[in-house]
Amino acid sequence: MDYLAQFTLNSIINGALYILITLGFNLIYGVTKFVNINHGAIAVVGGYTTYYLFRVLGWQVSVSIVLGVLVAGLLGLLLDRIVFRYLRENKSSNVTQFIASLGLFTITQSVLAIVFGSQLCSLMGDGPARPYNIFGGFLTSVHLATIISALLAVFFMFLLLRYTRFGKIVRALSDDEEVAKIMGINTGQVIGWVVFIGSALAGLAGVLVGFDLGIYPAMGLIILMSGIIASIIGGIGNFYGGVLGSIILVVIENLGMVVFPSEWRMAVAFAVLVPFLIWRPQGILGKK
Amino acid sequence: MNKTTKIILGVVAVVLLVWIVVASNGSQNNSEIKVGVILPLSGDAASYGEPWRNVFDMTAEEINNAGGIDGKKLVLIVEDGKCSGKDGASAMEKLVNIDKVQVVLGGSCSSESLGAEPIATRAKVLLFSAVSSSPDLTGKSKFFVRDYPSDSAQSKVLAELAIQKGWKNVAFIQEQTDFAVALHKSFTDNFQAEGRTVSKEEFPKDTADFRTIIAKVRAGNPDAVFVDVQTAMAGERIFKQMQEISWKPNLLLSDPAMGDGQMLEKNKVFLEGAFGAEFVIDPQNTKLQHLLEAYKAKFGKDVEYQSYAQAIYDQVYLLKDGIEAVGYNGEKLAGWLRTVNNWQGASGSITIGADGDRVSAHSLEIVRSGKAERVIE
Repeated sequence: MDYLAQFTLNSIINGALYILITLGFNLIYGVTKFVNINHGAIAVVGGYTTYYLFRVLGWQVSVSIVLGVLVAGLLGLLLDRIVFRYLRENKSSNVTQFIASLGLFTITQSVLAIVFGSQLCSLMGDGPARPYNIFGGFLTSVHLATIISALLAVFFMFLLLRYTRFGKIVRALSDDEEVAKIMGINTGQVIGWVVFIGSALAGLAGVLVGFDLGIYPAMGLIILMSGIIASIIGGIGNFYGGVLGSIILVVIENLGMVVFPSEWRMAVAFAVLVPFLIWRPQGILGKK
Repeated sequence: MNKTTKIILGVVAVVLLVWIVVASNGSQNNSEIKVGVILPLSGDAASYGEPWRNVFDMTAEEINNAGGIDGKKLVLIVEDGKCSGKDGASAMEKLVNIDKVQVVLGGSCSSESLGAEPIATRAKVLLFSAVSSSPDLTGKSKFFVRDYPSDSAQSKVLAELAIQKGWKNVAFIQEQTDFAVALHKSFTDNFQAEGRTVSKEEFPKDTADFRTIIAKVRAGNPDAVFVDVQTAMAGERIFKQMQEISWKPNLLLSDPAMGDGQMLEKNKVFLEGAFGAEFVIDPQNTKLQHLLEAYKAKFGKDVEYQSYAQAIYDQVYLLKDGIEAVGYNGEKLAGWLRTVNNWQGASGSITIGADGDRVSAHSLEIVRSGKAERVIE
């Protein structure tokens, strides 16, 4: 095995997962303007839904994955309708919405732990996925599916935001919600759709993590943390910034693990984040 | 009396009432002996905690059905130590201050015991473990005793094997827990000399992605990899991801992985030929046979983690003998346990040393067709 090849492939796999999480997180942040911690728990709900349908009930894998993604999207939408919409209408501060999302995260995580237990559940079953040798490194079918999913998600989101009326409305809403309202845009409905799409993307990430590494209830924060760091580096709320931030973060993390002991992985990620927070809080592509 | 004063007095009265109720519940009923138990009941280590809890419950029931201890019913108060020092300490605080116990059976994970020990020592409560094996607990306190041997024996057996195999470079993939850290240290002390080296990659509890760690360890081209995990589940993730890059190094396993029969069976092809060292299990021991049969009859399945289960079973009976000898007093029991010599239990002959450790040893084992087999030298 080629050491460099494996590190590069590991970076691509992790980068693909970060992109999926960051895409949804940034999309939602763009229109709601608060850090939704529950986004991580939504990802895990997607993974557990697929796990339950596929592994417990024995449904077809494709149907289970689609339903896992849909349930994550619908749960995100439902929570937005019954919690965050009222907070927005009451002009609650970003801190209030953040704390509400933290509360929902804790509840979701606890419910998952009660229903499924705290132990790791693998969607793959007992054995590992079959490895393929690529330029001296190894990838499995799950890794390939993760990379292809991330590329398709980026492509789909690019087309949606760039070339559709819905995309223009979302961008307008991201720039200024009040102006968008004055222009006659039903902002509540648009935010609902954005939350649904962003949560579904998180659900897809959760499903893929479930197949690759397995899932457990507390995994949501770990998944989301990388997504938030990548978003801040690239530009929080910015579609391209999220993708760029994910690539930068994953390269630095993996290079960091080559140079430093493995336990420094998260420390390296935060060490990269701090200078951005001080000198460029809007991120590389973010606007001041 | 104004409204504010009335509210304050009301709150004080409620707090006092709650305190009295809690305190009266915590005090010992004359017909019962309340003993605390600290186990991991959530997280990865819950896979141990649940079967161990079954052994505790079954043993207590057995004792109570036979007349209890000095005619009193043994009542176990079980707390979740979550395999962490912080939660082990919280559980200990609750058992000591609220339940007013004199004895706590636990902790289970070494982190739990290390977290709970200072509280036990301060309160003069016996902390009696059948599972914690970190060498850091040896002689830690006169209130800490264990009927399971220290891991210094485990790492010594495996270091001797590695030297005998002629391995020069052993790489550790080590979980960041007290147990795993101590095992690494002890192995290094026994192995690292005459040009032999030990390298290490650490990972935090609940890590799922080992890809880069494994790639890094592989790049070091070690003669063997010591998978030093606190739970078999963490080990299983590592084995799966090693297979995903088509790598099968010589493997040494810590006893949580080696003792998990289901995990060995599931990964039997990959783990064939892996070595570990476990506390001796004697299948001919009649008390052990009774434990295995009674457990299966009660729970409908085989005992998991037998080397620990047998020590738990003995621990509860040792406590019974101790209370009957010196009474239910933590300090006296801690002293009595240090006099235990050649006590016959399911785990064989038990002798506790002056340092509170069980005087015993681990045996070398190898994985053959998904089972851990003792290596007869």
